[in-house]
Amino acid sequence: MKRRSLLAILLVVCLLATGVAVAEDGGFPVTVTDAAGREVTIEAAPERLVSGYYITTSALIALGLEDELVGIEAKANSRPVYALAAPELLELPNVGSAKEFDLEGCAALEPDLAVLPLRLKDAADTLSELGVKVLLVNPESLDLLKETVALLGAATGADASALLDFCAQKEAFLGELLAGEARPRVYLAGNSSFLSTAGRAMYQSAMIELGGGENVAAELGDSYWTEISYEQLLAWNPEVIVIASDAEYSREDLLADEQLQGVDAIESGRVYALPDGVEAWDSPVPGALLGSLWVASRLHGELYPSEQFAADARAFYSQFYGFEPDEALLTK
Amino acid sequence: MNRRSNAGRTRRWWIAAGIAVVAACALSLAVGRFPVEWRSALDSDTMSGRVFLTLRLPRSLMALAAGFSLSVAGCAYQGVFRNPLAAPDVIGAASGASLGAAGAILFLGGGALATALCAFAGGMAAVVAALLLATLARRRGMVTLLLAGIVVNALFQSALMLLKAAADPERQLAAVEYWIMGSFADVTRGKLLGALPWMALGAAGVFLLRRQILLLGLEDDEARMLGVPVARMRALALAFATLAASAAVSVTGLISFVGLLPPHIARLLTRSGRASTMALAGLIGAALMLTADVLARSVAASEVPVSVVTSLIGAPLLFALLCLGRGGGRDA
Repeated sequence: MKRRSLLAILLVVCLLATGVAVAEDGGFPVTVTDAAGREVTIEAAPERLVSGYYITTSALIALGLEDELVGIEAKANSRPVYALAAPELLELPNVGSAKEFDLEGCAALEPDLAVLPLRLKDAADTLSELGVKVLLVNPESLDLLKETVALLGAATGADASALLDFCAQKEAFLGELLAGEARPRVYLAGNSSFLSTAGRAMYQSAMIELGGGENVAAELGDSYWTEISYEQLLAWNPEVIVIASDAEYSREDLLADEQLQGVDAIESGRVYALPDGVEAWDSPVPGALLGSLWVASRLHGELYPSEQFAADARAFYSQFYGFEPDEALLTK
Repeated sequence: MNRRSNAGRTRRWWIAAGIAVVAACALSLAVGRFPVEWRSALDSDTMSGRVFLTLRLPRSLMALAAGFSLSVAGCAYQGVFRNPLAAPDVIGAASGASLGAAGAILFLGGGALATALCAFAGGMAAVVAALLLATLARRRGMVTLLLAGIVVNALFQSALMLLKAAADPERQLAAVEYWIMGSFADVTRGKLLGALPWMALGAAGVFLLRRQILLLGLEDDEARMLGVPVARMRALALAFATLAASAAVSVTGLISFVGLLPPHIARLLTRSGRASTMALAGLIGAALMLTADVLARSVAASEVPVSVVTSLIGAPLLFALLCLGRGGGRDA
């Protein structure tokens, strides 16, 4: 009963939000302020989009704009979600990476709007000089991701409310579900080595906290993977170890490591690898909340069983990306 | 008779080098990702025109100017140190510039202007420090200066390593490493106009001192007898050469081998170490740099760092020169 009334309220909220977005839709030309504080005026709904960052490429697919994309970032074939949701993207010309951005290549695509990460600010200034409209975004946390999605919606005329509602709804769901629950001590093992981990400033830490765990490395303030020692890991003695996506080692490597015997998580076998068959949920991609949901299903399986997680993930990808991921992609 | 045929040969090489520069420059203007329409290349109301005037032309001119000034600076270094392998790294200019760039990337956000200014300041600071250290030493002379350079180089390298260790590997460290590999990919009109006057000033200074630099190639006592104030002239020549090289490198990042090689080729071709050979070396350097940059932007789907290409061309060429037996006039 309670769940049904909650659903009804959500539905009303969704409808209201959609209504607002539709009212704004006709509003071109539209002026938005991007992540660098630049005011960008877009005259008409852009029909040719360039995305220079995997998070915005994924977000544009989720907003139903994959057909408008004419160029994307380099190394697109390392992102399985493109092949699953919009394989035609893999054929698009690439505009380089944040390390070597291809200014001429981007200009040659004559985009109506190029979406680039904040660190390409210099490239954005040059492109603006050439007359290419550029939107700088900085999706580095869940809140910034939501800002980015809203900004992309406003700049393209696409309706972002459903995606934003999904985020808000799942965040609220997790908060309610896990309120008052014990929070197991979790160690997040980094992708290059299990002796690297994420401190409190990294998105991965937020993912674990939202999923009902306590990051044992929260005392570290580094904004990148921090190397730690075996001793440090033994001292933290985590109850659960989560292996980051795209890890270069396996769960078995950890379990077999003699130096780690005696750690609670190793003794009890509570070592889980984050499924990465679709997207790296431990980065602020539009489906990032699935990362927290997956953590919750592993830490609090009695409240939120794995089957329910798999159903939620399937629903998310079929609603926003138009495909149903196999069971195998959702486990690892 | 011999003298006359020598002059004739020199003239032929001058003409050949001139043609090579013009051809490489034409190629550099024609090759790129953007299909420039030549009819509207100078019309800044069209995208073609803007790309040509803001990116393509500045990039080609920068490659030309950088190749020329690095080679001229190389002539000065090799002359002053009487060492065929002398280059700006000998007295710490390259490590100074790298340290400056790394500092800007770590602490100032890595914007193009900040990085260029810090790299320029770093390169100049290293040479000034080496010259000051040399005056403090009890023994004066070229060897002392060389040793002072090694000291400065070592200190700057160690500071650079410290910065690299502290850098975030994904973004900052990658940016530092890419800077050290050099690239013309993000040269714009603004950057060209900022660096050009300093390159011109440095190269002009070296040219004005060309006879004195030639005399510095003799033993100190001989040079002194010929009326050259050795210590002062050496410092002045190095300052001008470093100015030219640092200004180029501040915009492009480190470029290997251009600076070392063209002086050798020029001396080999003309069979003389005369001062006019310096200008020929400059032209050869410009042609080499332009060709390397054309390859860097066209051999792969994304830009290749230019030092990869210059080293790939330069190393076999250097070996071939060694095998040809008779090196430059003053190689002994």
